[in-house]
Amino acid sequence: MACGAMLGGMAPRVAEPIKVGHYGSMTGSEATFGQSTDKGIRLAIEEINAKGGINGRPIELITYDTKGDSGEAGKAVTRLISSDKVVAVLGEVASSLSIAGGAVCQQYGVPMITPSSTNPRVTMGKDYVFRVCFTDDFQAFALAKFVKENLKLDKAGILYDQKQAYSKGLRDEFTKAFKKMGGSIVIDQAYSGGDQDFSAQLSAIAAAAPDVLLVPGYYTDGAAIAIQARKKGIKVPLLGGDGWDSEQLGKIAGDAIVGSYYSNHSAPDQPDMKDFVDKYQKKYGQMPDALGGLGYDAANLLADALRKAASLGGKDVRDVLAGTSGFPGVTGSITIDKNRNASKAAVIVQMAKTEKGDVQPKYVASVAPDAAGEKK
Amino acid sequence: MDSRLGPAPPRAHWPPPRAHEQARGYYPPFTVLEKFLQTLMDGLAVGSLYALIALGYTMVYGILKFINFAHSDIFVLGAWISYATALFAGYNDLDPAAAGIQAAPFPVWVLYGLGGATFVALVVAGIPKLQGRPLSESARALLLGVTWAWACAGMALAARVLQGAGWSIVGGGAILICSMLTCGLVGFTLERVAYKPLRNAPRLNVLITAIGISLLLQNLGQLEWMFGTRPQGMPSLLPDAVLAEIGGSRPSPDADWTVQPVRIRLLDVIAAGTAIVLMLALDRLVFHTKIGRAMRAVSFSERNAALMGIPVDRVISFTFVLGSMLAAAAGFLYAQKYTKLGQTADTVWVLLGLKAFVAAVVGGIGNIRGAMLGGILIGLLEFFGVAYLIPQLRDVYVFGVLILVLLVRPGGILGSTAVEKV
Amino acid sequence: MLEVESLAVSYGAIKALHGIGLRVGRGEIVTLIGSNGAGKSTTLRAISGLVRPAAGSKIVYDGTSIASRPPHEIVRMGLVQSPEGRGVFPNMTVEENLELGAYVRSDRDGIDADREKALSLFPRLKERFRQSAGTLSGGEQQMLAMARALMARPRLLLLDEPSLGLAPQIVQVIFRIIREINAGGTTILLVEQNAHMALKVAHRAYVLEVGRIVMEGPAAELAASDQVKNAYMGRHA
Repeated sequence: MACGAMLGGMAPRVAEPIKVGHYGSMTGSEATFGQSTDKGIRLAIEEINAKGGINGRPIELITYDTKGDSGEAGKAVTRLISSDKVVAVLGEVASSLSIAGGAVCQQYGVPMITPSSTNPRVTMGKDYVFRVCFTDDFQAFALAKFVKENLKLDKAGILYDQKQAYSKGLRDEFTKAFKKMGGSIVIDQAYSGGDQDFSAQLSAIAAAAPDVLLVPGYYTDGAAIAIQARKKGIKVPLLGGDGWDSEQLGKIAGDAIVGSYYSNHSAPDQPDMKDFVDKYQKKYGQMPDALGGLGYDAANLLADALRKAASLGGKDVRDVLAGTSGFPGVTGSITIDKNRNASKAAVIVQMAKTEKGDVQPKYVASVAPDAAGEKK
Repeated sequence: MDSRLGPAPPRAHWPPPRAHEQARGYYPPFTVLEKFLQTLMDGLAVGSLYALIALGYTMVYGILKFINFAHSDIFVLGAWISYATALFAGYNDLDPAAAGIQAAPFPVWVLYGLGGATFVALVVAGIPKLQGRPLSESARALLLGVTWAWACAGMALAARVLQGAGWSIVGGGAILICSMLTCGLVGFTLERVAYKPLRNAPRLNVLITAIGISLLLQNLGQLEWMFGTRPQGMPSLLPDAVLAEIGGSRPSPDADWTVQPVRIRLLDVIAAGTAIVLMLALDRLVFHTKIGRAMRAVSFSERNAALMGIPVDRVISFTFVLGSMLAAAAGFLYAQKYTKLGQTADTVWVLLGLKAFVAAVVGGIGNIRGAMLGGILIGLLEFFGVAYLIPQLRDVYVFGVLILVLLVRPGGILGSTAVEKV
Repeated sequence: MLEVESLAVSYGAIKALHGIGLRVGRGEIVTLIGSNGAGKSTTLRAISGLVRPAAGSKIVYDGTSIASRPPHEIVRMGLVQSPEGRGVFPNMTVEENLELGAYVRSDRDGIDADREKALSLFPRLKERFRQSAGTLSGGEQQMLAMARALMARPRLLLLDEPSLGLAPQIVQVIFRIIREINAGGTTILLVEQNAHMALKVAHRAYVLEVGRIVMEGPAAELAASDQVKNAYMGRHA
């Protein structure tokens, strides 16, 4: 009798969880990307569930590893949707993988939010795919504007990764924007992702003597190039995009990267980030990078939409997401535009040596979204 | 040099590269001699590292006639062990506690593992000793392994003491030895555990095992209690300075850019020097000592070598240890030169290992001098290709020459042209 | 000196030896004759530890069982084989091949002395001392293989088909030297297809047929028997 009563009493409290999927590179050479994002997402979901979940139902997160491979990404999303029956999907960091996963979501009519894929093609023509970050077009514009107006420099050099669409996209858009603003590109060099030695390119760059060198790759290449550039006697600041965002950048490059700038979604020393940074550090014992913050925002934005939607059906959730305006994320206020991209400010940070002796990014400027002239 | 020209006048404006150059992916060349010398030096420095790795591929192929695909992972391990040991020894520009870096205590699991292995070894070796029976081969291998492991730990400790005493360059040497010893032990264990039981199995099985081992090492390295997934910056253990600048600092003939001087860096000289010394030592060992003769005998025929009284298993183990130690040295030197260590599964490593393998094949696989020659050749080819042809095609030059050599001289440059029997 | 009892060897499912027994006494030349595929080389390989005999096989050398010893330890005990097909290392010089023969020894002076002795036994090798073994003729390679085996200072020397593929005059030389080696105090177990020559030099002989010993006895007796004459000596007689 007592036993039956207990069971009967417990049953209503165990509400059926709402399943949400995350696909990310948890292993492989981009493992830090997936892991940081997953940590941010889990932190958000933990908080949401602690506060009662979605109308009483907790969120259950299912994470699959893409191993940094776009074929795996498509498979992971298919599995999330067709066998795990998730109501929505979060993920990927790398744009090529988000494009693969987004195609599957679009086909099944399941909403997807990518926390940090910045390539314009990710959301293009897919009305179920959203992002909570800015696009590369805007990022390149923000960088060009910062060089021209804040640093007041006119001659830029470029060393980009010809294998990465992300790197090439930033290079193209930066070149366009910078020239329009009256600057000139004095040297344009390429390398292939995986190269470890940049001496030939850097010799040419040294000879052309630019005022600033754009290196729009990932932080691993950025760090390696910074070290080798200093050895070649190139002393001008380097300039990167959000691919530079990792606490490893300063650890690997050390003094070589001090004084260089990159654009990012948020900076940990921004005042409005403090609360999130503290929570993240308490839970994981490490500083969050912007990917952690974006994962956190993507999960919160999704939870908000699930709460407001008429049903958990794909179309209803999608409609709520599309109408997002001024959502207060830790990485800035998020407004979803008609192309399902977030129009958000970009921040520019500079690598600097702290009094402790390590090298950390410091917030220097923000570039507002309307400054892009709202192109397209 | 060229002092009569004086320093280059500061130039108000550099015109951008001309359109046709940009279209072809060219960059402004600096003058002939400087460029040639710089390229030659860079190519030699990297080529000697390729050669060190290639030696391991070629030695194992020579003896067991299979490609040890896990060899490049030993090279990666060498780089990462150097990093971990350097942290442990206290090489860091930063204040570790303040910078949020774990102060790198001696990894506790290493101590537990060592202690456990020692206990097992003492039991396995002790019981027959008490009973007055001779030791079995496996007990002997275990004893050797444990002793060796303690030597590795001892070297790491020595590096820490030396660094603390301010002898940081000597400590760097201790880290090199520690890394070589550790990788040697790993090579020994791999051969005994994974390859030896397959000695008479079809070669395909061994090949697949090697690929499996390679993946195992890559994924083990990704674990948080090993090296983790984050790339790290290698502290500098060896001194570096510009030894000499040759030429440069004058306007190029058409006055569009300044000529860059050739910079000879101490680090490159040390790295290439160490590599060359190790290669000469190996050459001497293989061609002028008893154990070297035994290695060559085993590589020709295990059966006939055994009839000479050569302990074939031990010679094979020795070969693995030797190859792994050279790879570790290459890993150490590489980490010093490029300072950025990608995680163990990073594609950068795979590509490097592949190039070293190409070097071994181009030189003539199974031929030790061929591997050295092939390594240097591949390094030079890569750097000259990048400097004088299209820089984006870096890997194309390497794999292109592989195809060329396979077509023209399938046995490799120094390899025998005879078609392989079996 | 060597006692083999119920020695059985299988290669996978195929039985090569069905439990043979043989004995070699100190100072003897014993020959094992038989046609191709009878299991002669397998016998020598099993004795040298190159193939693992089946359970129950007994190989006792100098009072010690060596049935499961690794080959290099057996060589260390003074039981040395000069293998079929000579097995010289063609990419090494004659000098290096001889050095390898002395691999188990470390008495430098003794090795040098034995090398001089071996070279005086095979003067042809002296001329080719710094040449790589691959450039030698078949007969010279056989001489090298035997000289190399002697470098280990064997007490029991196993010779596997020393006359194989050699011109008749060279065969004569080789067998003369075999006798000389034996006269120097080395016991020899000789495996031969050339029964005619083998029975001439040997004291005792065994006849092996598809993995079984079918006859044994003093060499002269066997050489005289019709059975052996018909089966093994026709071609050579």
